[in-house]
Amino acid sequence: MTDQTMAPDAELDCKGLLCPLPVYRTAQAMGRLKAGEVLRVECTDPGSLADFPAFARQRGYTLLSAQDGDGVQVFLLRKEPAR
Amino acid sequence: MYGSAVTVPPGVLRRTDAGLEPDHTRRRYRDVRELIANTRNPTPLVRLNRVVAPATEAYLKLEWMNPFGSVKDRTARYLLEGMRARGELDGRELVEPTSGNTGIALAALAALDGLRLTVTIPSGVPEEKLVLLRMLGATVMPTPDELCPVDHPRDGAIALARAIAESPAHAGRYAMPNQYANPDNVRAHYETTGPEIWEQTEGAVRAFVAGYGTCGTLTGVGRFLKERDPSIRIVAVEPQPGHRLPGLKNLEEARAPAILDRSVIDDVIRVDDGPAYAMTLRLFREEGLIVGPSTGAVAHAVLALEGEREGPIVGISPDGGMKYASYYAELVKDGSEGERP
Repeated sequence: MTDQTMAPDAELDCKGLLCPLPVYRTAQAMGRLKAGEVLRVECTDPGSLADFPAFARQRGYTLLSAQDGDGVQVFLLRKEPAR
Repeated sequence: MYGSAVTVPPGVLRRTDAGLEPDHTRRRYRDVRELIANTRNPTPLVRLNRVVAPATEAYLKLEWMNPFGSVKDRTARYLLEGMRARGELDGRELVEPTSGNTGIALAALAALDGLRLTVTIPSGVPEEKLVLLRMLGATVMPTPDELCPVDHPRDGAIALARAIAESPAHAGRYAMPNQYANPDNVRAHYETTGPEIWEQTEGAVRAFVAGYGTCGTLTGVGRFLKERDPSIRIVAVEPQPGHRLPGLKNLEEARAPAILDRSVIDDVIRVDDGPAYAMTLRLFREEGLIVGPSTGAVAHAVLALEGEREGPIVGISPDGGMKYASYYAELVKDGSEGERP
């Protein structure tokens, strides 16, 4: 499930955007997802490595994976069903 | 500022020491921007008569008499004039963090100049301001406080605007006036608000009260008045952490603006939301002043100075009360109108 190669339900390109713009865009994109769906986000601001875990925790999203390589950070976030 | 082809009707301009100026005695204008206050057309000082003791000479300076409704009209005008002079507006869009009033003034001026404006807004700004901004054509980005978990919690809107302006992906498409750090914000008040107060009180002003916000008013007016007379007391009003007073800042939970010059400030008076809103209600009912909640905070601090100084105390009334109906509904929900028909 946490494999970076899994097919996400939506993708967001935040490359070249400074924090907190990627988190802002991600919050909007997550709002458009249905429960259980997964969003893949690509960023280039290293600050996102700190921002995304905190953001997911605050919003109750599951951060399935966070990878950093070649100056690009890739996050997989899942919207959980409302409890 | 205006096309040379415009025919000027007689009586609209008058010759002054500063050249041709709008004739403020007739109050007939070629353009709404001519209404933005300056020493030839100052915002009114109105004396408080009922919420203070009769012996106290205290005034509010009604900044909401500016054409776009707040003290920020001065700031927005100076910010844009400075950017235009430096060539920073050429082909760019504007982005600015604002709790509303700067955004409204910038949006109106941007619309008149054909510029696009995006504003990032902290949470808790009244719906009325968001609607006004959208009416003026601005793109509005409400910014949740938790957006910047590692930064100051109340500064998310500032961080977001900076990210929009500086992101490599946007390749210099945006210019940020940055009222918190731009010296033109201070200059607006050093060149207009400060001299107005000095002239309107004929140099007799003994104390000046304004809120911590962008700190343009405090720094600009404070600096001007201190240069005229260092014994004039400059008083800053600071809300409590977690306050509900739009436009004001608590400097523990928000970063102190770069343009704040603490050397001109003599005292800081802390005001709770409760007394600020209670004073706002008194200003409505006892003084006939339809003001925003930050004016209540300023007036509360003015009362705290009563009896300490001989001579006029001047407080800033940053904006009017029309934009805060959704906040004020809470104050009057018990129906103090009574049971009469």
